[in-house]
Amino acid sequence: MGNFKLSRFVDSHRALLMLIVVFVGLSLTAPNFLNSYNLTTILKSASLYSVVMIGFALIFIIGELDLSVGAIVMLAGMLAIGLEPSLGWYGSFAAATLAGILVGLVNGLLVAKGKIHSFIVTLGMMSIVLGVMHIYSGGDSLSTEDYDLSDWLDEAKIELLPPIVIITLCLVLGANFFFNKTRLGRGFFVVGGNKETAWLAGLNKDRYIVLAFVISGMLSAVGGALFSMSLAAMPANVNLANNTLMAVLAATIIGGTLMSGGKGNILKCYFAVLLLSTIFNGISLFGYSYDIQIFVNGVILALVVLYESYAVYKQDALKGQNPKLLQSMLRSRER
Amino acid sequence: MSQVKSVMAETGQSPSRKNRGKLQISKSQIVFEKAGIYIIALALIIVGSLVSPQFLTIDNMLSVLRSISLLGMVVAGAAFVTYIGEYADLSIPAIIPLSGIVAVFALPLGVVPAVLLGMLAGMMIGVMNGLVIGYLRANPILWTLAVVFFMEGLMRFMMSNNQIYPDVSPGTSGADFIDLYRSEILGIPTIVVVMLVLLAISHWILRRTKFGQQAKLLGSAYEVAKTSGINVKRTVMIAFVLTALSSSVAGILITSFNKTGVYYLGQGYDFQAVTAIVLGGMTLSGGRGSIVGVLGGVLVIGLLSNLMTFMGVHPFQQKVVIGTIFILVVGLNQYQLRKMGKDHG
Amino acid sequence: MNKNTSSPVLHMHQVSKRYPGMLAVDTVSVDFYAGEVHALLGENGAGKSTLMKMIAGSFDDYTGEIKVNSQLCQLHSPSVAKDNGIGMIYQELSLARPLSIAENILIGRLPTKFGFVVDTEKVIEETKICLQRVGLELDPFALVDTLSPHESQLVEIAKVLGNHPKIIVMDEPTSSLSRSEVVRLFDIIKLLKEQGLAIIYISHHLPEIFKIADKVTVMRDGKKISTKGIGEVTPKSLVQEMVGQSIEDFYQQRSHQIGETRIVVKNLSRFGFFDNINFSAARGEVVGIAGLAGAGRSELARALCGIDPFDQGSMTLDNNHYAPKSMANAIKSGVAYLSEDRKREGLFLRLDIKQNVLATLIDKHSKGLVYTPKEGRDVPGELIKTLEIMPADELIDVSNLSGGNQQKVLLAKWLAIKPKVLILDEPTRGVDVGAKNIIHETIMRLAKETGATILLISSDLPELVGLADRCIVLREGRMIGEMQKSELSEEAVLLRANGEAA
Repeated sequence: MGNFKLSRFVDSHRALLMLIVVFVGLSLTAPNFLNSYNLTTILKSASLYSVVMIGFALIFIIGELDLSVGAIVMLAGMLAIGLEPSLGWYGSFAAATLAGILVGLVNGLLVAKGKIHSFIVTLGMMSIVLGVMHIYSGGDSLSTEDYDLSDWLDEAKIELLPPIVIITLCLVLGANFFFNKTRLGRGFFVVGGNKETAWLAGLNKDRYIVLAFVISGMLSAVGGALFSMSLAAMPANVNLANNTLMAVLAATIIGGTLMSGGKGNILKCYFAVLLLSTIFNGISLFGYSYDIQIFVNGVILALVVLYESYAVYKQDALKGQNPKLLQSMLRSRER
Repeated sequence: MSQVKSVMAETGQSPSRKNRGKLQISKSQIVFEKAGIYIIALALIIVGSLVSPQFLTIDNMLSVLRSISLLGMVVAGAAFVTYIGEYADLSIPAIIPLSGIVAVFALPLGVVPAVLLGMLAGMMIGVMNGLVIGYLRANPILWTLAVVFFMEGLMRFMMSNNQIYPDVSPGTSGADFIDLYRSEILGIPTIVVVMLVLLAISHWILRRTKFGQQAKLLGSAYEVAKTSGINVKRTVMIAFVLTALSSSVAGILITSFNKTGVYYLGQGYDFQAVTAIVLGGMTLSGGRGSIVGVLGGVLVIGLLSNLMTFMGVHPFQQKVVIGTIFILVVGLNQYQLRKMGKDHG
Repeated sequence: MNKNTSSPVLHMHQVSKRYPGMLAVDTVSVDFYAGEVHALLGENGAGKSTLMKMIAGSFDDYTGEIKVNSQLCQLHSPSVAKDNGIGMIYQELSLARPLSIAENILIGRLPTKFGFVVDTEKVIEETKICLQRVGLELDPFALVDTLSPHESQLVEIAKVLGNHPKIIVMDEPTSSLSRSEVVRLFDIIKLLKEQGLAIIYISHHLPEIFKIADKVTVMRDGKKISTKGIGEVTPKSLVQEMVGQSIEDFYQQRSHQIGETRIVVKNLSRFGFFDNINFSAARGEVVGIAGLAGAGRSELARALCGIDPFDQGSMTLDNNHYAPKSMANAIKSGVAYLSEDRKREGLFLRLDIKQNVLATLIDKHSKGLVYTPKEGRDVPGELIKTLEIMPADELIDVSNLSGGNQQKVLLAKWLAIKPKVLILDEPTRGVDVGAKNIIHETIMRLAKETGATILLISSDLPELVGLADRCIVLREGRMIGEMQKSELSEEAVLLRANGEAA
């Protein structure tokens, strides 16, 4: 019995535990790991994925899939840089966020009211949004000469916490609070956990689905805008979209949020994002190229998907078992 | 199932008079469904000829055929994954470059062995997918997404972002290799021939083989297929292997065209393949559609892109258009099925 | 015991519910009083589930009068039922499994501070109060997924109690409970009774009804047969009412030989599903497999066909070792299984009759890779004729057929393999009388003419008793007895299935 409880504990807190293990391992073996500059770098590099993760995890919690997050990140990033000359930073940030909200709204309506599978909607939307992004930027990367904002975001006034990290943490903690502690937040879990029960209890499933996609779109946009603002530039290479999707997907699943719905924890997923960022950081500290990071990210995702599928597979084999019969059969054979 | 639904199931409610009437309509609607995509293709051709005199020329039509050949090859196999109800194989963009890269590596052994080895490499991904999705029942979208991510990462890492250049001096197998894409058979570009052959084989597999019949049952109702004695796991495996094989062929030819093996050659083929398959009448729920329809879907995509180019629509804008059409077509399809009461299972 | 004899909490007067082709509930009048446990008894298809669904507000088209506390009401939706003080505890609990106990109990009414922030202390407090009412002391934040069926059920009851119902309907509440858990449940029911609730208890477990109920209403064929106090009935009298007067000999007399032993099952066990099953069946014999729902009959059948595995024991078929690894193996050995749920496991609803019937013959009709359906060209047509399937068109989609005809197609699918052993699981559930007859005739003819062995799983007692030569009885995964033709009567079977002596 003790064994069972222990394995449950480990499984439930796997993101944090793995993060600790990797952190300790790297501090002992990697050159230049345990210093303020490097740790700040890790936190900064985690910010894009963390913010996007919040929305992505929410979509999983209601039992859907959003493949367009990476595309929205790129569109928002482009808009944030591109509109700055005419609207100023506040204006371009708002415009980028608005774009994300709109895309999310369309996604949500198509899934909830159009009753089209979210795989199709977000796959198509990904293509559309990337197309729009390319049209807007003319296929080029965009950049700005105004480095003030980017410097501000990047410079740590408080040890280890440059503004961009503070913003990220606020969003993560705020989201964690919202999903754990508010009635609206908990409503998403109910809708994802058992759609019929939710309906019987008076919750409007469609509204929650639309809201979830809007939030996801909005946060992907915020993440993308923050990213480009802190770089003072936005690359046009769509690999960024793919890598974002890949990392966020892996982190969400490692953090214990599954596509089946009703289950998830933002804080755990944040630890998972930190885990990935730390691993990537370690890889670069050891002198390996960026490509290895991508490869490792992919391997981690594959392993995680395999692990979860296997767990479900084992559980399914036992469906319908009568526990008291099982007990008595085992006992009678113990002789 | 809701309690109400289960009661209805138990009492064997007979269809209402409404449904019986639909029998008549549904047969003719099915005919439209099957021919529908070609009607759209025809409409595109008509519109195209109105937009520009250059549209309806042999040269242009041939160019359209050439542009869709590779996609046509991919969907010849990928259609099976959708047909059995496993949505789509998103690992195609990794299989394509992998087979090309392996083939180029193996060129010193001769063109034919190189091509075979390339196909073998691609097939192995198909086997892996088949095992994980068929036997372990992993979510096909999540797994194939994971595969494309780590395979592309692997290829980038192993090639260190470089490209593989075959030795193309005349007389070498390298020269023969890059010739593959550009050659012709009896005046028709090889790639078009290969596409048509693959589609024909695919059609035959779907209609005439044991596997094809089992796939249809599997796509219609997984659980029922299981209790009817169909080896569902093996059938899923075969579908993914077929996808990998046809994608490998496309990959080798794309690499031949590109004259180098590089990891990004397959990008976009996953989305285009699903679009063509769905346009061609195969529903995501499985068990419906035909290869003839899928060919129609590929044709429509080719004609549409060609038409848009003639109309001056920029490639980026084309992307937006096709994405929109994709969502609309699936939505419309699902709506129709729901109205006919045919969307159970 | 507070017995409110003045006016009933729930008054149902001449209520009926019709489905196309059949009357599921036929002008039933019954009253339920506060402070009483009122059992609703009847065989499958008797109408008790439909009556329950009516109370739950699942139908907007029933006829007749329903009054709650003397107020006329239209129970046309689940929320109306809830508002009228009706609480439902279904067999398939309506809990959200990935969520915590507290979130399930307080679903839709989480207490908040400032209007939107969840008040955790209040949540814990209220959850604990609700759990206390059912005698549970659990961590309010434990996930429902981690609870046992017993605990889940108590949570469901706590949830329903949270809405302060006046009437609670329980549907087969004890099917996955151990003996001690049943005792605990009954204690809670007694407590609720004393608090003045009216409890409607739906079950066909006779011993339990005698332990807990004050009144019993028996239904059969959609009609109410009787309502009596528990002191006025015995198990035998109830069974007689459930089953009705002996039906005229509806079933043909056996007129053929039973041959050699064909299938032998020895000590077959699967952990958690069934234990030590031993029986044999001969050529041409019809062996019934009786038992209540959940006894393990279908699980046994699936193990006999290789769809599910088994852990211990062995089988022989025509004196050869028989251990199918898959349904395909079973089909090759000549074993067929007509599954219980024709819509989910039996038929390809989207396909036509021809494709359904030929589905099991794909291997047979293939030469290597190629599928040659020409060989089976005539098969669907012949079976359509034999079974009188209407409309007699093999290209009609199965979903367009009536229940009876669908069942015939399902039977045709398995007859097509010319089985040596045909396992039938509820072959005439939801089927009209005409189709039922044809199906029965066909089964008997199969046994007589081809010497096929028939294993018949059925909750339809007349069918079981009429067709079977012998009957084995399963209870909670174990074989508790075998009954010969002479001992076979509907009452006897039902009593045995309940664990009582005839």
